[in-house]
Amino acid sequence: MTKTASIASAAAAEASRRSFKVLPVLELAVLAIALVMPLLLQDYLTVFATRVLILAIFALSFDLVWGYAGIMSFGQALFFGAAGYGAALLARDLDIASMLVVLPAGILIGLVFALLLGGFLLLGRHPSSVIFLALGTLTGSYAADRLARGWYYLGGQNGIPSIPPMTLGSSDFTEGPVFYYLVLGILCVVYVGCRFLVRSQFGLALAGLRENEQRITFFGYKVQHLKLIVFALGGAIAGLGGSLYAFHEGFVWPNILGVVISTQVVLYVLFGGSGTLIGAVIGAVVIEGVSFWLSDNYREIWPIILGVLLLLVILFRPSGLVSLVLSERERVGSFGRPPKGGRHGAP
Amino acid sequence: MFNDQFKLSRRRFLSSFAVTTGAIATGAGSWVFPAGWANAAAGPIKVGIATDITGAMAYAGNADTNVARMVVKEINDKGGLLGRPIELYVEDTASNESVAVGNVRKLVQREKVDMVLGGVTSSMRNAIKDPIVARGKTLYIYPQLYEGKECTPYIFCTGPTPAQQCDEFIPWLIKNGGKRFALPSANYVWPHTLNAYARKLIESHGGEVIFEEYYPLDQVEFSSTVNKIISNKVDVVFNTIIPPGVGPFFKQLYEAGFLKSGGRLACVYYDENTLNINQPEEIEGLASCLDYFKVLAKDDPVSGRIQADYDKQFPGKFLLAAGSAATGTYRGLKLWEAAVKEAGKVDRESVAAALDHAKIAEAPGGPAEMVPGKRHCKMNMYTAVAKSGTYEIVARSQGLVDPKEC
Amino acid sequence: MDSVLIAAFEILSFGAIIVLVTLGLGIIASMMGIFNFAQGEFVLLGAYITYLGATSGLPVWTGMLAAPFIVGAFGFVLERLIIRRFYLAPIVAMLGTYAIGLIIRECIRGLIGGRYISVSEPIGGSLDFGDVHVSAWRFVIIVVTLLVMVASYLLLARTTFGLKIRATLENPALARASGISTSAIYGSTFAFGAALAGLAGALVVPVFTLFADLGIRFLIQGFVAVMVGGIGSFAGPVAGAGVIGVLSAALPWVMAPVIADVLVFVLAIVFIKFRPQGLLSGRRV
Repeated sequence: MTKTASIASAAAAEASRRSFKVLPVLELAVLAIALVMPLLLQDYLTVFATRVLILAIFALSFDLVWGYAGIMSFGQALFFGAAGYGAALLARDLDIASMLVVLPAGILIGLVFALLLGGFLLLGRHPSSVIFLALGTLTGSYAADRLARGWYYLGGQNGIPSIPPMTLGSSDFTEGPVFYYLVLGILCVVYVGCRFLVRSQFGLALAGLRENEQRITFFGYKVQHLKLIVFALGGAIAGLGGSLYAFHEGFVWPNILGVVISTQVVLYVLFGGSGTLIGAVIGAVVIEGVSFWLSDNYREIWPIILGVLLLLVILFRPSGLVSLVLSERERVGSFGRPPKGGRHGAP
Repeated sequence: MFNDQFKLSRRRFLSSFAVTTGAIATGAGSWVFPAGWANAAAGPIKVGIATDITGAMAYAGNADTNVARMVVKEINDKGGLLGRPIELYVEDTASNESVAVGNVRKLVQREKVDMVLGGVTSSMRNAIKDPIVARGKTLYIYPQLYEGKECTPYIFCTGPTPAQQCDEFIPWLIKNGGKRFALPSANYVWPHTLNAYARKLIESHGGEVIFEEYYPLDQVEFSSTVNKIISNKVDVVFNTIIPPGVGPFFKQLYEAGFLKSGGRLACVYYDENTLNINQPEEIEGLASCLDYFKVLAKDDPVSGRIQADYDKQFPGKFLLAAGSAATGTYRGLKLWEAAVKEAGKVDRESVAAALDHAKIAEAPGGPAEMVPGKRHCKMNMYTAVAKSGTYEIVARSQGLVDPKEC
Repeated sequence: MDSVLIAAFEILSFGAIIVLVTLGLGIIASMMGIFNFAQGEFVLLGAYITYLGATSGLPVWTGMLAAPFIVGAFGFVLERLIIRRFYLAPIVAMLGTYAIGLIIRECIRGLIGGRYISVSEPIGGSLDFGDVHVSAWRFVIIVVTLLVMVASYLLLARTTFGLKIRATLENPALARASGISTSAIYGSTFAFGAALAGLAGALVVPVFTLFADLGIRFLIQGFVAVMVGGIGSFAGPVAGAGVIGVLSAALPWVMAPVIADVLVFVLAIVFIKFRPQGLLSGRRV
């Protein structure tokens, strides 16, 4: 009887805690800060902030794939870079720089590459091990990097420079507050989309997948297909980020396909806290921001500090920065309607 | 040996920077060299240098920065430019294009410099020219030998072009090396375009290109290339592989007996700085064609003075050498000085208009003049051969050579 | 005929390098079930120590001799402090060792300033077999690799220590019950794997020049080789390394180097997909 009593009291405590959700507060706070940024920063720093936001979109794609579907994709940059190159080629060879073509093209490229790679790695008679997925995606990214480095049509080592500004109708998107708000808008749309996804029935299946993959399989869910869908979506979002990046920076080069950028996004999400979406954004902002701020004095040491911090996070706080304010329950999320009263009708 | 020469690590370089001239670090990879005096009314003229202080091209970038410091100090000591001191802002492009773009943006948007000089490899130039010229609306001077075809307005090139490097050089190679050429190259824009130009010249002078191949920049395994060269009895290896691959490549070629059986190496960016990458016997007889070699300092008093000044101020291992854009940097800054003096103003339009036809009488290797309308520079060219670790001049151009660009 | 001999020689020497790197990775993966993402940086560390030795005025080979021991010791300490926390969670191990690798790589990048530094080999020049000239140093690499492999095999198959290792590999619980200190075995194994990487780095640096990103290429090749060869045995990683090394070195002779580079990885991944256990799986020497 004591066991039931303790469960009941725990549920009651939960119910009272449940009434204050940290996550929406956190998200709104971040949004508010992001909205006023350009007003507070000089033009040159707004350009930097835009770049960070694009990287945050990229980080979201990885969080979706790893935090929600458990796929350790060490090669997200493949989709990011491929879309970047696609956008650059559209601008260079076909003179197309219109936002209405380029951004959907980026999404499509990311989606297709992710379907192809994910299909190959995930589908098949035997479910693939996590290590195999990690290695397969890492290899994909590395191979794409080497290929782009060797293919002169893609510019070889040089990459493709001098990409013209993105256009909408007759106006250009040059760097600065305008581009910033555009990216912020896109980031918000992507974020809300992801949020809906992971709180939907589909997201429920994903949550079950994370908890116990075998059991979900026995329930009849095609786990590999679920993973593939998430992987493809992740690829699409990474592609969107990639095409934005190409037009914002004005050039693409083989490194944006490669291992360093792939693992950088892993860092962002790990640092911020995987499986929370906002963690990915915060991780990207914090790491890029601190790196920029420190680069003025400690650029050589900062990567070392970053590595040490990362190691500490992995050892002692694997749920990342966000776990400092967000409880594990909120991270996993609740589905369905909360039960009336204080009964232990936990989801 | 290469590693001996580079005992001057980046840290020591930084401290020597700060100690000798009171540089202010405004960031790792960013320095300001303020003049010793100020002009209260108009403020200083700001010159930005964006070059590879770290990375594979560090041997060139550091030499260029040194030259810039030397020239700016000389100008400031004589009262500055238009009565205003010149402030030098240095950013590290780190042989990494995306870092470079970020740092160049700092120069243009934060420091708001009046002119940017820099970039070593063509890929670096391509990456940074947009932020400088198009988005940043600033004048850009590119000081390094390159493949030509850079005709963007407001970009002025003061390094040798393929016409200047190859027109006399290839015939000399055919006469002093042989007719069978191999073109091993790094895979980026400079070798591709240069090879196209060289191939036309080789074939029109009766030579033959046996093969032309492109390798990734970090490739260090060249056994199949070396084998192709030996088994096809190539006479001249017209090399455009750049560091880090060039050292292992020449070494592997030497070990396979290429030089012993009479082959000749040719490399148009090889200068005193790169001599140290290999052992002297591995590059014996290597021919290069540049706008300046240190040995000229003995005959030409102007070159002698400039070389002596540089060696006194910067006695380290970054040498004033033409394949490292150092002479192009000197030329670029002096031509720009002349243009600003003529224009009387520092804004881009006026300076560009004056720079279009600027001339200087004193530069390493001889005078230099911009070709009006072309934004490229006429200069003397010299062919030299590496012997026991130094160069020996074997041919000179007859007067200033036309760059034949744009 | 000469070309074939030269080609065979170059392929062998390149394969030997990959074998050295992969052996360490494979042993760690087989024994402790974790993928050491810092293995490439151990190679880098070995190369760096060799460079330090060469520039400090001592003969080059002192640095080369010292490198495996120093890196092995470093690996041992690392295992005691950090790595052993990862044994139960392979993903965390990957990330954790990646972070360690990042720290090592950036430290060395800061120390050598992003340059490409060449270190000369202790035995330079070429050996001449008739008309065929081969690099003497590459020959040394092949010889050393063979010696190391033979020594490792003898260690595992013929000594008591090797017996303990094999016991731990086969059944850790039973080994512990029999009185073998598995934690000491794990420590030694990790140190051994690190030492092998250090040796590879020392041998390879005259060929490849020293630069901060040296480790990354070896890491990926090593991983692919281990998965192709199969985890769980000594011969597996060696077989995998042999295949990958030979393919990587041989293909550029018949096709453009960049396609060869990519093709090796693509083929390897496809192979692993259809034969996840690799070439030789199972727990044996």
